[in-house]
Amino acid sequence: MKKMKKLLALMLTLLMVFALAACGQAKAPAAPADKAAEAAQVAITWWAFPTFGVDSGYEQELADAFMAANPDITVTVEIIDFQSGPDKLTAAMTSGTAPDVLFDAPGRIIEYGNGGYLVALDDMVEALKPDLTSESLVETCVGADGTAWMYPISAAPFYMGLNKEALEKADALQYVNLEGERLWSTEDFVKMCEALAKAAPTTVPGIVYCGGQGGDQGTRALVNNLYKSSIVGEDGKWNIDENGVKALELLKSLYDDKALDAGFDMAAADELQKFQNETCAMTFCWGTSNAKSYAAEDYTQVSVPFPSDDGVPALEYLVNGFCVFDNKDEARAEAAKKLIAFICDDAEWGPKSVLQTGAFPVRTSYGNLYEGDEEMSLLASWTKYYGPYYNTRAGFATMRVEWWNMLQRIFQEGDVEKQVEIFNTNSNK
Amino acid sequence: MGKSILSSRGHALRRHETIVSYLFLFPALFFFVGFVITPMVMGVITSFTDASLANGNKGSFVGFANYVRLFNDPIFIKSAINTVVIVVVSVPVVTFFSLWVGASIYKMKSLYRSFYRCVFYLPVVTGSVAVVVVWKWMFDKYDGLFNYVIRAFGGEGLAWTGDPQLALWCILMILFTTSIGQPIVLFVAALGNVDQSLVEAAKVDGANNMQVFWKIKWPSILPTTLYVAVITTINSFQCFALIQLLTSGGPNYSTSTVMYYLYEIAFRTTKEFGYADAMGVILAIVIALFSALQFKVMATDNS
Repeated sequence: MKKMKKLLALMLTLLMVFALAACGQAKAPAAPADKAAEAAQVAITWWAFPTFGVDSGYEQELADAFMAANPDITVTVEIIDFQSGPDKLTAAMTSGTAPDVLFDAPGRIIEYGNGGYLVALDDMVEALKPDLTSESLVETCVGADGTAWMYPISAAPFYMGLNKEALEKADALQYVNLEGERLWSTEDFVKMCEALAKAAPTTVPGIVYCGGQGGDQGTRALVNNLYKSSIVGEDGKWNIDENGVKALELLKSLYDDKALDAGFDMAAADELQKFQNETCAMTFCWGTSNAKSYAAEDYTQVSVPFPSDDGVPALEYLVNGFCVFDNKDEARAEAAKKLIAFICDDAEWGPKSVLQTGAFPVRTSYGNLYEGDEEMSLLASWTKYYGPYYNTRAGFATMRVEWWNMLQRIFQEGDVEKQVEIFNTNSNK
Repeated sequence: MGKSILSSRGHALRRHETIVSYLFLFPALFFFVGFVITPMVMGVITSFTDASLANGNKGSFVGFANYVRLFNDPIFIKSAINTVVIVVVSVPVVTFFSLWVGASIYKMKSLYRSFYRCVFYLPVVTGSVAVVVVWKWMFDKYDGLFNYVIRAFGGEGLAWTGDPQLALWCILMILFTTSIGQPIVLFVAALGNVDQSLVEAAKVDGANNMQVFWKIKWPSILPTTLYVAVITTINSFQCFALIQLLTSGGPNYSTSTVMYYLYEIAFRTTKEFGYADAMGVILAIVIALFSALQFKVMATDNS
């Protein structure tokens, strides 16, 4: 009886192993007629972050238009969100179930490219180069070895948002330049914060959020602009220079004087919500997309570039673009490239897609898509103030974590120089 | 002759029953092996490699390097300490509080008993995201309920989850409210099953309520208490969603746990799967040791 049980247990185990193995088995070879039909029809999957808007349905519209123009290709659209999407992508890539196309931004795309998960898009980017609005856009598309991994469609600067009525109540509007390109100085920014703290039209003047990675580029842009500092040294390593230390010391003193607050448990989305409901009078993460998502009816939201000591900002910017995953299937890769070319370059759908992102075209041939829109024309004029793009540099993910932890330590423990030193060491590990 | 026929029939019947029982086991075993055992084995293997997203998940064998690195990583050590604090505080508090509530309500009329069970079980069935959103609002530094009350009494609002001294206690408070529901239900059921004749006999012999509880009821509910302690220990060690949704491990890693740090390394920052798996292996070993210790202590108690 014991032998019998052992035999059955063994058989059961073998059966399970075979059944599991069968899960990963390729399909049985198709009949020749079916084979021809299958070869003609290519099915691809497109994962998209909601850059075209939440629940807009635009991705499906695009896919339908593409399939109508390319009946031999089937596109399945899947929308992923910014919260769980990155984890889903990591899991999919490592388990060999990555999509064919991804609509995202350079930070992640270049990381995937450097890891060997993507199809090189050198031919497409090379052909696009003469039409790009700025040469610096090329560096947002290429990886460590110069291979192009991303095909860009649109770009937009990040800037600050102010509550006009709160500033008026605090008599602080006098420090903000609302003429021309609205450029302003660090000195005026400090005066504005102090006036807001004194009159307290909102609970706090502003919140330097440092609780996590969502929108952390806003706080870096603030620091880097105040005294024209850089986060990358001449040797290419992550390094906050002397001017950066000066800027961080200024923020710490504003925090100590209650002219600014620190959000230790807040990311940009939390700060934006506080700006929307008038808990604070400014946001450091304003942009075309956030201006839509966090619009308020009770007061006027004013867009201004980040203040700098010489009045000339170096803005952080967002680039939207596509990548193609290497699923070891040439036909699928070609179909995916065809899809992204359709979305970005088609005479009808290209400009339409740029408008849907709420950003500005990276192609000069598209001209001004926001003709007659004063606000968007102003924002378009800031594209010339784009600063160096560092999101694609090696160790960016590590640097980001060090960044917000450094801010937390500075506001809680002080000793800016020591905290910066820790940042400079740990970011390059 | 007759005996041997009966014996061979008995064997055939038992064989048939064994086959049938194994067939019934097959679906559950299939999923258990496929989705629990296989990933566990793969995790252990990966923990000895330097697999990461950057090298295309094609890690090479590095021996115990990941394990050595763990004990030199100050953030891992901080996270491990936080994890131990969570376990050491939450397990006894949850166990004794739910035992107290269970003992208080199990004798009540059915309607009241159901009402209290419902009240305490509600946070368990409510999605963790919804629970955390409400708590997040209550802990909000500017517009939160707690600070509103403090300010109403003339005090100055606290930073709660933004304060490294308070943040972990905020996590513990939420963990407590979401952890007591199931133990209370279990204790109410266990106390209801205690042999009443023994209770009555003890009372006739002059035992007071405390003596009845510790001498009669406590030994009867010890298996349930052991189950509650083990489950709460495992849940506390694996506390993750609350931290991810409320503090992201901050401020300055004051609420980071091994489980959260593992996630951060695997999915958020460096995406080093080998290193993250080493953390997972250590966590699994520690949970197993704690659970074994609890079994041992309770078994000694029971004997």
